[in-house]
Amino acid sequence: MNRRNSRILRGLARFFVRLWQMRRVLLLVVPYLLLLGWLFVGGGRMDVRPAELYGIPEEPAWESPDAEHWFGTTGNGADLFELSRLAMATSVSVAVVSVSFGIALALLLSMLFVFDPGERRFKLVRIVGQTGFLVPSMVVLVILTGGTGGSLGVAILGLILVIAFHLCPVLADWFQEGESGFDVVAGYVLGLSRREIVMNRILPKILRRLVGVFAGYVPVVVLVEMTLSFLGLTGDRLSCGAMIAYGQGLIIEAPWMSIYPGLMATFVVFVLALLGWRVSAALRTGPLPRLF
Amino acid sequence: MARIVLQRLLVSMIRFAAAGIALIVLIEFAFCVIGGSDLHVWKPDSYGPVPPELSPRPVSWAGLLEDRVRVSLPVVVLCVPGILLVGYSWGLLGARLRRFRGARLLASPFSLFACVPGFWFVGLVAIYSYFHWRRPGFANDLVVERGPDLLTWWHAAIVALPALAAGAAWQIRAVSDVLEKEVTRPYLRGLFMAGYCEEDIFYRNAFRRALPQLFAISGSTLSSVAGSLVCLEYAFRYPGIGSLLVESVKLGSYGGILLSALALAAALSLAVLIGEVAVKLIRPEGVGG
Repeated sequence: MNRRNSRILRGLARFFVRLWQMRRVLLLVVPYLLLLGWLFVGGGRMDVRPAELYGIPEEPAWESPDAEHWFGTTGNGADLFELSRLAMATSVSVAVVSVSFGIALALLLSMLFVFDPGERRFKLVRIVGQTGFLVPSMVVLVILTGGTGGSLGVAILGLILVIAFHLCPVLADWFQEGESGFDVVAGYVLGLSRREIVMNRILPKILRRLVGVFAGYVPVVVLVEMTLSFLGLTGDRLSCGAMIAYGQGLIIEAPWMSIYPGLMATFVVFVLALLGWRVSAALRTGPLPRLF
Repeated sequence: MARIVLQRLLVSMIRFAAAGIALIVLIEFAFCVIGGSDLHVWKPDSYGPVPPELSPRPVSWAGLLEDRVRVSLPVVVLCVPGILLVGYSWGLLGARLRRFRGARLLASPFSLFACVPGFWFVGLVAIYSYFHWRRPGFANDLVVERGPDLLTWWHAAIVALPALAAGAAWQIRAVSDVLEKEVTRPYLRGLFMAGYCEEDIFYRNAFRRALPQLFAISGSTLSSVAGSLVCLEYAFRYPGIGSLLVESVKLGSYGGILLSALALAAALSLAVLIGEVAVKLIRPEGVGG
């Protein structure tokens, strides 16, 4: 009996020791889970159209912010706090999808050059990167989404391409940095093939840093998605940008409709940026290129 | 020196031409391939005169560009020197105070402000202006007809502020990162062992050797500032080159799109050219070939 108790106690002790060892990871993961969980609760109503919400009925039922409706209500009585939360969930979803695919595309593109043993294999990537600065990414996104009449799918496609375009030279630098490590030189001396060295020595280190890239880029892309929706270039989807744009038409009658969604957006972007910075610092990602 | 300038000028022109071709391809792809428009970007019929929505008075394309550039100039004058001044000086200070995470601390107010959506901030200013100062808030609401036109500079400052905050935050950290990387190099340890004082090592050796890299990083900052001005100008209804791009895209006017995008690309080309010439001129002997 005593032995069984001690085993349970030992197991518990081991569990808490493991938790203590993972405290830094948990300190980052738990706030992410809390934020995303809070954003995505009640996600079944995400097909709401801002044009319908911000339409002015004959007898508007809007209410200014009070204890019941923290952000006030729209013309048809919908709670603005809930709508802002759903809008931010949409923006975060778009950002997560875009950044994930953007990073994957950048990795694929840079892998095209990595296995080439030549000294100047990344020259093309760098030249294209230097020329790309002349056309700001926001200009590319505005033209791409505006030319197609404004749709979320094209916006995501544009974001993926822009992220991949700017990340490729950074990944090229990381691959070159990785090749100068002592373990890699030792691998060459021992007769390992280039493929083995790249796949087993260099790539794992880069993949580890990509988590930091992801965390660092998500808040930036959330801001860009909101900007595009403010400009009316992502279709009639619920987003804080679109809500602010529609709300500006009602500045005199209901100013809270353009003020409070922005507060929610600022809060979410701030929390994501703070967490992203910590993740990036913990994984030693280093400075990331400016995208927009 | 003339050889260096001409060489960089040629490279810059080639880059600008490449950017122009990329823009034409992008417009054709967006409007015709995906958007299904019948107007191709290479056909002269697709351009026509300046649409009345883009200018209240009849002007040529060159006149429209001149008007918009003149309006955008105060924003650029406030924004770009501000970013460079704050970015370089505070970044230098941040690297000097690296033991106390100086760069993070100095950049944090700007980073915090950069989390605020710029288009929302300029809208807030307009709302505040309307309710508290009892005057129209957006940039196109009021025109000064007599006396000093301080309102233009006020409007330009409102548009420039969010772009300045984001640009400065990045520039401080980028400058500091470059310098912090430089001070970890082994030759500096040798100087320290040889008895050089810390200030000598930092300013006369690390800083001087990092100058080419410090000049090179401002290109990407200016590019992102140009991108943010596109949406900020439109959000504040400020009739500059950025809002010309958005208005032209919404109207499907290829002339306006090309004019505004190429003007931005030309400005960035010029900035990159100046930076590259400066790098070539100040590069210390034996560094980077």
